[in-house]
Amino acid sequence: MVVYFLRGSKRYFAMGMILSLSVALLDMLGPKIVQYTVDYVLDDETGVSGIAAWALAAAGGRDHLRTHLYIAAGVIVLIAIVGAVCRYLYRVFNSMGAEKLICRMRDELFAHILKLPVSWHASNHTGDIIQRCTSDVETLRNFLSEQLMTLFRVGILVGFGVFFMISINPALTSISAVFIPVIILYSVFFHNRIAASFLKADEEEGKLSSIAQENLTGVRVVRAFGREQFERERFETQNQGYTRMWIRLMGWLSAFWCSNDLISGSQIMAGIAVGAVFCVHGRITVGEYIAFVSYNGMLSWPVRELGRVISDMSKAGISVDRIRYIMNSDPEEMSMDPPSLGDKPLDIVFDHVSFSYEEGTEVLHDVSLTIPAGTTLGLLGATGSGKSTLVHLLDRLYDLPTDQGTITIGGRDIRELDRRSVRKYIGLVLQEPFLLSGTLAENIAITEPSEPDMKAVREAAEVASLDDAVSRFADGYETYVGERGVTLSGGQKQRTAIAQIVMADTPVMVFDDSMSAVDTRTDACIRRNLRERTAGMSVILISHRITTLMQADNIVVLDHGRIAEQGSHDELLSRGGLYRQIYDIQTSGAET
Amino acid sequence: MNVQEEIKSLPLFGIPRLLPYIRKYIPKIVFMILLGFISSLIDSASPLFNRYALDNFVAKGTLEGMSVFLAVYFSLLVLYVIENFVCTYMCGQVEMCVDRDLRNRAFDHLQELSFSYFNQNNVGYIHARVMSDTGKIGVMVAWRLMDIVWNGSYVLCVVIMMFALNWKLALMVSVLVPVVALLIMFFQKKLVVVNRSIRELNSTITGDLNEGIIGAKTIKALAVEDRIMDDFRHDTDKMRRTSVRASRYSALFTSSVTMMSSAALAIVLWCGGYITMQGVIHIGTLAVFLTYALNLMEPIQWIILTVSEMIMTQVNIERLTRLLDTESGVTDTPEVIEKYGDTFHPKKENWEPLHGDVEFKDVSFHYPDGEEYVLEHFDLEVKQGTNVAIVGETGAGKSTLVNLVCRFYEPTTGQVLIDGRDVRERSQLWLHSNIGYVLQTPHLFSGTIRENLRYGKPDATDDQIWEALRLVSADGIVRRMEKQLDCNVGEGGDMLSTGEKQLLSFARALLADPRILVLDEATSSVDTVTEKAIQDAISTVTRGRTSFVIAHRLSTIVGADIILVVDDGHIVEQGTHSDLMSRRGVYHSLFTRQYEELAWDHISLLQ
Repeated sequence: MVVYFLRGSKRYFAMGMILSLSVALLDMLGPKIVQYTVDYVLDDETGVSGIAAWALAAAGGRDHLRTHLYIAAGVIVLIAIVGAVCRYLYRVFNSMGAEKLICRMRDELFAHILKLPVSWHASNHTGDIIQRCTSDVETLRNFLSEQLMTLFRVGILVGFGVFFMISINPALTSISAVFIPVIILYSVFFHNRIAASFLKADEEEGKLSSIAQENLTGVRVVRAFGREQFERERFETQNQGYTRMWIRLMGWLSAFWCSNDLISGSQIMAGIAVGAVFCVHGRITVGEYIAFVSYNGMLSWPVRELGRVISDMSKAGISVDRIRYIMNSDPEEMSMDPPSLGDKPLDIVFDHVSFSYEEGTEVLHDVSLTIPAGTTLGLLGATGSGKSTLVHLLDRLYDLPTDQGTITIGGRDIRELDRRSVRKYIGLVLQEPFLLSGTLAENIAITEPSEPDMKAVREAAEVASLDDAVSRFADGYETYVGERGVTLSGGQKQRTAIAQIVMADTPVMVFDDSMSAVDTRTDACIRRNLRERTAGMSVILISHRITTLMQADNIVVLDHGRIAEQGSHDELLSRGGLYRQIYDIQTSGAET
Repeated sequence: MNVQEEIKSLPLFGIPRLLPYIRKYIPKIVFMILLGFISSLIDSASPLFNRYALDNFVAKGTLEGMSVFLAVYFSLLVLYVIENFVCTYMCGQVEMCVDRDLRNRAFDHLQELSFSYFNQNNVGYIHARVMSDTGKIGVMVAWRLMDIVWNGSYVLCVVIMMFALNWKLALMVSVLVPVVALLIMFFQKKLVVVNRSIRELNSTITGDLNEGIIGAKTIKALAVEDRIMDDFRHDTDKMRRTSVRASRYSALFTSSVTMMSSAALAIVLWCGGYITMQGVIHIGTLAVFLTYALNLMEPIQWIILTVSEMIMTQVNIERLTRLLDTESGVTDTPEVIEKYGDTFHPKKENWEPLHGDVEFKDVSFHYPDGEEYVLEHFDLEVKQGTNVAIVGETGAGKSTLVNLVCRFYEPTTGQVLIDGRDVRERSQLWLHSNIGYVLQTPHLFSGTIRENLRYGKPDATDDQIWEALRLVSADGIVRRMEKQLDCNVGEGGDMLSTGEKQLLSFARALLADPRILVLDEATSSVDTVTEKAIQDAISTVTRGRTSFVIAHRLSTIVGADIILVVDDGHIVEQGTHSDLMSRRGVYHSLFTRQYEELAWDHISLLQ
């Protein structure tokens, strides 16, 4: 999976690695130049050979350099410029890679989530999924672009450093190199030991945070029971415990930092002392001594960093698992460019359909019904009688198992049709519609591929009796709605959803109790408008309000997942069954 | 959500405003600063050891005095480490203690603030004040302060040492300092701007994710996945480009700082080299200068970063102090506190028993954040034991009367009388201790069932708890649980269904045995059996008490003594069920509409 995510960003990281190699190399040159300047130019050492001798000769030899010391300075500045450019490019390439990577991870995850079935969404917490898409993605990105790169960079730096130091004097190097594994191991050990305490401290903070949260959300309960004193004590106790825990942790951390200071301080000291001894004994030159001390100092920080990075890396594994959970969930098969089922209504047939969400509890049982093209079906039933399930199956939001009957559109089994073709063919208005962030006009015209035609938007809003409400908003159709905008009432949301479907102008329209939050008068008005607008289309109306359904061509009464009776309003009334009972109560009940 | 960030400018980074809260840590902070100064001094002096080694051992070719040198060096190192340990430990301590004190202060203050504050600010916002602002301020008064002390004194010491060693060379290196500072400030400004847009984009992306997940069903039903995905890609790509731009700036920023260090190095090598050859300075001094030149620039970078972080923390200081300075809209007078005690120190011995008569006398009221009067010259007498029902559309303002009875708000003019005396004549805690409140969305605290039920009566025995559970027919629910009363209900009672939570909150109210009961009835759909149990519970708990029921299901309040009908914030009708039905007004139409739904329950009950 990680490799899959890295597609497109690998080359940036490769460039980054090459550049970080050059940066390390250039960093290492500085002390070397100082060394030659001191030994060869300022002092009278000889014994320079190889490239260095050639370079010195090219610069005009010792005497020339002595009088023109700016050449050495110039070389350092030149190296610094090249180094700075490389460092800059390294950071830029690394961040281009990292951003490309995180962008790809986000896109792939989101695209996958959009394809996951409704049942998956219903069984996973929103907060948890978002956490996986944000902080786990961030952790993985940091692992790849920061931690692995740091590992590489520090590795190179230490490698070069040790190499250059060995080239000065192997024996001297061994004294300083002894400290490197010690620091790394000590650091890893400490971070692993402390990890549990950090986790615990985080938990304590979580508890404290939720005490505050509960107190704030339950402020009425707290006040009404007069328990302010109790709440205060509870908060203060937890706060004190949390604080004490952190102070102890701080103590550990300070001890760690400072003991690390001691180790790296000793390393530097050992370099200076032993270096001086070597120098006095003539085993190294003055310039070499200066260069050695510089190298020794250059290594101490990166090495300490390495320990932290290594122990942090274990976190990435957990995040990979958490992201993998999403990527490995089975998506719905669908094509992004589905074939159209045409714009003519076709016969819809439910044939012996049974369905259960989980083992054992059947929501629909052996339902057979036909909706001839261009007719209106009314579905009546109590909450939980299976009305919504029926249309969710038709819209392929849930899949009908192969042995549980068939649903056909124009004679074709919907299981053989592309999901999105079916959904584009059927306009379903959900019971609790969700408005996306955007203007009202954008929401109404969401199914339109191009810029919304305002005239059509207005017409659709009129059909849904939304125009009155819109005229009361200061920004009219440009009012920003959704999670981050104006909150619409339940009725306004339902009417916006109706306008969406009217705008989409699908051959089949399904209204799943979509007028429940709309008052009776507006309900009647919308139904009248819809009847004019949907003439010749197939319509499925779901409601528990008889007045909403009585004009349908066929009315099906569902009772606990079974069809109790069906027929036209008049037929059902004369039959004197469940429909009649409901009708009697709904029309006369209020009078009693 | 407050996406927009206010950049507040407070004198001295707002620290004076924090003074009252950090006063007792000032001696510690002063000590820390002192220690920080010493550690920078040692830090900046350490290259001198290298110099000493160069000049005395290497240059002279002798190892005489090496053991003394090592002893001094090592003991200074140990001193440095110990002193640093004390300093960082104290710094952590100060951070956490300031943090803790501020949190406690904020939390305590919130317990006394009136409801208008909670209505004007959402929970997330207030929660961030208590939990995150305090943390940021703690970091600022401890670590940020020390960062400035450490780095500032280091730069100062290094500059002084350089001047002491050789003032001409020092002058040349020092010239670079303002250049570096200006350069860093320039990039820092740019970075702040880019980083702000990154934060905004980040919240946009989280918003997109949220929408894609919550709205999954809608998106599928409308088959608009491609469009949603395009929008998302657009946002992530924008994020990518902006982030790369930000890292360009920060890369330029760090590269230029390292380049400046190299420039300093070059100056020292060039000019220092000459004077070394001329014998003005020893090679050891040159080496020290080289080290200083390399190490001078980074602390300057840190100082500027720290300052810019402190500037950003000002917003947190501003927000937190604003909360702490907010005064409660409902406060007890000093005389009342004198007699009845305050919220945290009640004088229960002086509390009179509450009988339960409530009277509204010529009450006019508008909410503090609105202009429009929702009650005007309202009179209502509620004798002890009366059931008052308040009905109306969602959002019609049904809570107003209850808010006044509970003294969550006070009338703009007029009086609310409890047992014939103005509610303001006695303490809030006295009133609240006598009121039971059952919320529409029942709120339980994380903890066991027992802890939750005892919330209103901390000394309730298990027998009393079971009795209360039995009265609301919730004993069965608890008995079915493995740990019974010790069962943990989870955060906010998550482990229980809404209906169960509702019943438990009835039991909780019943245990408190309040004289006045307020019920905000549930709208959430529960199954028929639970619904029946809840209705029975309501009639059990309201029996014999003065009660105010905010009703959504009208069937439950048909038998109420007085029904108040609220529409658009005003009380439009008042009377018993039969009065109001025969009037054929708002109540009649509300009732008729609900009956359509009720028909189904009716039939399923018949079956």
